[in-house]
Amino acid sequence: MLNLANIEVMYASVILVLRGISLKLGEGAIVALLGGNGAGKTTTLKAISGLLHTELGEVTAGSIEYNGERIDKLGPEEIAKRGILQVMEGRPVLEHLSAEENLILGGYIVKSADTKRDLDMVYDYFPKLKMLRNKTSGYLSGGEQQMVVMGRAMMGHPKVMLLDEPSLGLAPLMVEEIYQIVERFNREEKTSVLLVEQNARAALAIAEYGYVMENGRVVLDGPASSLAENEDIKEFYLGLSVMGKKKSYSEVRHYKRRKRWL
Amino acid sequence: MEVFLQLVISGLVNGSIYGLVAVGFVLIYKCSGVLNFAQGNMVLIGAYIFWTFKGPLGFGLLPSLFFGAALSFLFGMIVERLSLRPLVGQSILSMITVTIFLSLLLEGVTCIMWGSNPLSKADIFPKGTINLGFFNVMIDNILAFCFALIVMTVLILFFQYTRLGLAMRGVAEGHQIMQALGIRVKKILTISWGIAGMAGTIGGIILADKIGFGLGLSHIGIAAIPAAFIGGLESPLGAILGGLIIGLVESIVSGYVGNAAGTPAAYVLLVIVMLFRPYGFFGLERIERV
Repeated sequence: MLNLANIEVMYASVILVLRGISLKLGEGAIVALLGGNGAGKTTTLKAISGLLHTELGEVTAGSIEYNGERIDKLGPEEIAKRGILQVMEGRPVLEHLSAEENLILGGYIVKSADTKRDLDMVYDYFPKLKMLRNKTSGYLSGGEQQMVVMGRAMMGHPKVMLLDEPSLGLAPLMVEEIYQIVERFNREEKTSVLLVEQNARAALAIAEYGYVMENGRVVLDGPASSLAENEDIKEFYLGLSVMGKKKSYSEVRHYKRRKRWL
Repeated sequence: MEVFLQLVISGLVNGSIYGLVAVGFVLIYKCSGVLNFAQGNMVLIGAYIFWTFKGPLGFGLLPSLFFGAALSFLFGMIVERLSLRPLVGQSILSMITVTIFLSLLLEGVTCIMWGSNPLSKADIFPKGTINLGFFNVMIDNILAFCFALIVMTVLILFFQYTRLGLAMRGVAEGHQIMQALGIRVKKILTISWGIAGMAGTIGGIILADKIGFGLGLSHIGIAAIPAAFIGGLESPLGAILGGLIIGLVESIVSGYVGNAAGTPAAYVLLVIVMLFRPYGFFGLERIERV
């Protein structure tokens, strides 16, 4: 359904951020995009959703295809019309507006007759939000703002949801709750989800397939279960190294094991 | 007492005019982040367009008003498209410079099209006085004030309760977020300039009823801008209240102290308010969560 073929992305025609990314997102699938800071995960999402054009960025090589149509040159408004919505990182709520007003704007591009019904759908996913509907969204807590931002995207009935680091800065219980809701939304609305996460454990728990990015390249990909079992992933992203053995200082190096994918 | 009431009434009428022009100013700032120093000249051109329909073309009052408002809406949109669209995201200094030069340009265009002499009078509100017991009130003042109040109320209701008004408030919060939701931010910016042009023009028409159709109409921009700051640059309601406050202060001070003391008094008030409430009375403070 969504197919990125070897894309290169540059900012300001000078800074090369993505150096040939290829990935696929099938219908109704949840795919995880993992990697450390600066790997280029958010840039990949912005390339898909068209927000790159608002930041002096462009796809300089390769193509992004959605249902057979090339979308890499389109602006964010056109791509959103096709049902691809990005939930940006950092919980960007429209601060001075209330939570409900944020949600209503999420559904702006959809027919206005269904707004009430869509709001009810979002409140069904996030019951806590119903109590906070008239509060100024800038003053909500981090978890509540994340709910607002996700609910806002849900209002647009996306066919593809690009989730950027939903667990950033949230308490572990809140993270679990959010992930359960993502899974439920994927199941009930048949929305595909491309999930960018640093929290590899949480992401691989709900994803079917995963890609690991580093320095603008995909260095590893595979079904989520095999990624979770991969020795290198376990050590570098899940923090499961050999315990109990005595370590000598001469052995401590940045990478104890050579990363098998380089 | 009678003198005081007369001053209050005339202050409120002036204030409602400042309020209308200030609303346009605030709207443009809120949505596109541009301080539009050409607001006064947009008022001037809009009022002149109205005069053209009413005077030489001989239309009736309401049709002239309608066409004046519609064409000034269009005019606002054209100004945005041509001069401000390329400036989105640039430094605020460039924006201020461009709008200041835009005001000079518009003044020149006005002179070319209509000449620099004052235009012939066009009566808008019926003249006359009513006797309210212990003092007289001019009918045109009352009608002007009511008309301005209706327009301002419609604008406020539009922002608060309509879908497009909500979208405009959203654009004021963050362009990129709105683009991510699929909303055409550029279209909304253009519409906001159109509304600003229209609101300013209506204010200008009311003013022209009092002082005539001349180039002096553009100087209202200078009085409307402190109104916008006092009310808070992000609040249309604040702009209206700011305008009324400035109108009242100006009128009362020039009545009791002296004619020339009115405008400086408004600016003194601006300084005092800025000292204690730098965001204006209704301005939106930056939301900081601790």
